[in-house]
Amino acid sequence: MGTVLQDIVERKHYSFIDGEGVTWQEAVRLSALPLVADGTVDEDYYKQIVACIEKYGPYVVFEHNIAMPHTQENAEGAHRTGIGFMVSKKLIDFGEDEDGEKKEANVFFTLSAVNPEEHLANIAQLTEIFMNDDLIDALAAAETPEDILKAERDFPCEE
Amino acid sequence: MAKLDGKKLLACCANGAGSSLMMENAIKKVMKRNGITPAELRHCPVSEGKTAARNYDVVFCARTFVKTFEGIEKNGTVLIPLKNVMSDKEIEAALKEAGLLD
Repeated sequence: MGTVLQDIVERKHYSFIDGEGVTWQEAVRLSALPLVADGTVDEDYYKQIVACIEKYGPYVVFEHNIAMPHTQENAEGAHRTGIGFMVSKKLIDFGEDEDGEKKEANVFFTLSAVNPEEHLANIAQLTEIFMNDDLIDALAAAETPEDILKAERDFPCEE
Repeated sequence: MAKLDGKKLLACCANGAGSSLMMENAIKKVMKRNGITPAELRHCPVSEGKTAARNYDVVFCARTFVKTFEGIEKNGTVLIPLKNVMSDKEIEAALKEAGLLD
């Protein structure tokens, strides 16, 4: 099995958008579309993620404008474990967090979790990716699947 | 003996699938680095964590969930709210500040 980024490219679970005037709800939907395309999740799966963010706030937006929209394991409409990767040229506005700090994202990793082992491995790798600033910068500038793979080659994670 | 040896630790997030798992991984790193062996370390959704918290010594959560855990210190549970759930450095600093790590 390859890395999560190789897996994203192999399974065509990526998208690149301009993001101008796109709401965060729409961005979450768009980021899940490649997962819908091959039946990893149902078309309405994203609505559960949106409901969760509406309820708890934009806690899925981390430092460096990374968003990891997700819902619980084995959610309705999730059929396989996967990651919908999306880059938006413009920052997507997620509103403010509990401290009134503005939350914005341009790199999305939208999760579907069905197989606990695969999901655990994905989360462990994503954590390394999210803490690798150079890699995140390179991914945020990616415009093609080749760019994703090149970013990983140029800035590999330690583990 | 380190203060967290043999303690029960819990990491909570909205779904118990994303950030709580990241927290658990980061906590593991901190424990390993400091040679601590907790009795238990697991993650779960806040809905479950709310009632389970009293059985744990330390509960970690993203700052957005602090209100959910209001009052757990009455049972002697320490709440550690985090800004960056995957930062082992922040976890280490917060535990030191809470007097749970030397």
